[in-house]
Amino acid sequence: MGMSITAAQNLDAANECLEAINGRFDGSGVETTIEYHSNAKKFAFIRITTPPQHWQALAKWLCFDLGVNYCSMVTGTHYPDGPDERGWEVAYHMLRQPIVDQVPDTSTVYVAEDLRGSSIPMEFEILIPLANNNNPVVPTVQHIWVGADWNEKETWDLVGIKFEGHKNMHRVLNPNDSPEGFHPLQKQHKIRYHDYNEMYDDPQGFGRKPADEGRVK
Amino acid sequence: MAQMWITMGPQHPMTHGLWTLRVKVDGETVVDTDAELGYIHRGVEKICEARDFTQITPYCDRLCYVSAMTWANSYIYAAEDLLEAEVPERAEYIRLIAAELQRLASHLMWLGAFGPDIGNLTLMTWCMRDREMFLDLLQELGGSRMHYNYPRVGGVKRDIPIGFADRMIAKVKLFERRIDEYEMMLDESTIWLVRLQGVGYANAEEMVAAGVSGPNVRAAGVNYDVRWAHPYSVYDEIDWEPSVEKPTSVKGADCYDRYRVRMEEMRQSCRMVLDAIEKIPGGKNSNYSKGDEMIFKKAPLRAPEGATGFSNYECTRGASQFYIKGGGEGRGKSPYRLSIRSPMFITIPFVAKTMIGYKVADIPAIMGSFDPCIGETDR
Repeated sequence: MGMSITAAQNLDAANECLEAINGRFDGSGVETTIEYHSNAKKFAFIRITTPPQHWQALAKWLCFDLGVNYCSMVTGTHYPDGPDERGWEVAYHMLRQPIVDQVPDTSTVYVAEDLRGSSIPMEFEILIPLANNNNPVVPTVQHIWVGADWNEKETWDLVGIKFEGHKNMHRVLNPNDSPEGFHPLQKQHKIRYHDYNEMYDDPQGFGRKPADEGRVK
Repeated sequence: MAQMWITMGPQHPMTHGLWTLRVKVDGETVVDTDAELGYIHRGVEKICEARDFTQITPYCDRLCYVSAMTWANSYIYAAEDLLEAEVPERAEYIRLIAAELQRLASHLMWLGAFGPDIGNLTLMTWCMRDREMFLDLLQELGGSRMHYNYPRVGGVKRDIPIGFADRMIAKVKLFERRIDEYEMMLDESTIWLVRLQGVGYANAEEMVAAGVSGPNVRAAGVNYDVRWAHPYSVYDEIDWEPSVEKPTSVKGADCYDRYRVRMEEMRQSCRMVLDAIEKIPGGKNSNYSKGDEMIFKKAPLRAPEGATGFSNYECTRGASQFYIKGGGEGRGKSPYRLSIRSPMFITIPFVAKTMIGYKVADIPAIMGSFDPCIGETDR
């Protein structure tokens, strides 16, 4: 009904962002691609892979030049069996929302089909692989997006990734008196029913192989 | 007068769940606040690493018992992105109807809990009465009253039962008139206006920078809504418009605006379900058997390593997001990592700072108007 963002608008915005990012960060180790979701409307989004040392510069540029104004989630992942250059990964999910220069005392009604250029909502996924050692450190972006503050706290609390320069870091979901170095989402912590799949695949316990052994369905 | 820290919570009528608001007061004025969360942290993200993709749905239902259907849907869209599942159109319509009925129930629960915060105790009973209608409808779909376990990767568990459409239309039309009754009762109530107007200002840009989303931002005069900005279901085929409220002051939206925008959202949800039930492919009075390809398409059970799934979903309190990485245990049967973004986890610290400068008596009004839910906050 002309009310939602269309696939064409979405692709235009994605291409524009890709060009802008490549124009600024090409050759610095920051890799940008356009990816497509396979759910819902199969929309495009921007995936950026950056080494941690470029992250703050990239973040500032995204926020102030590209208009990425919304930090929605931070995900840390532990890959104990991963290669040397990727033992941990931090994924930031950002959105660009058209809410800028909001005039006070008015209401802004965006009509999706009239949105052009940088006011088209866009989704960004920023992946930061970290070296496989016991000290994963990534620079903070707390001062750039206020919304990243508590997300980073949570990521440190649960996954144990340190955010260099983060002010007022403390436990949020775990108890305040949790032992130092205890981060439950690291993979060395197992929960009950882990490795349950042997039982699940072979409930009778006859030791037979599943029919699809070695094949990913 | 000397300043001091007071602890409100974890057991406090204002907190709507278990969390602590530490307030620094100077006489009656709030000068600093600090939120403490995590009292009901269940470790859902860790548990999900040892469950397969169908088994995760009930855990996502239980993230927030007030809006179980929207949370389960939110997870399902991420899982479908990961597993590259196709969804029949009828299933998308059914999910939309279920989610919007859940939104009505959730906003009614919010209104019912918000009334006693403000001093209007009658409102609770009125809202519970109407919420029961929608819980009955959702029970017809999912089989239970609160945690439905209804959507599946690739469709929905069951089709809508025979007669569901007629019952739903009757109830929603009745409820549309009831919204007018609520407004008659509240919009001119002195208690309501005095406690809500001019309290808890927050402007749109601040909120977006702090990560607040959903009705709280729309109350501040922006019609930004995930349902049109990142469309996911069949919202583009349905007749509706995003609710938006003109803030009453240059300082942004106050508690009254946030109440108004949720009333408007309820109207829009009514309009959506009434429209969707007429447009549903396959007809509103037909009932396809379980697993029929009209409502369910088989999806892969395993996701390879390196595959990711993401969903951005307009939950009742804002944008809920899931990020799933494939290649976990059981040769990819479980996610390697599942991360949940709860809108309230980011909103609560922001709201705590919004209270600075107001009186202690305003705290329940400000907190309640943002619709906190601790189940999804602590996960």
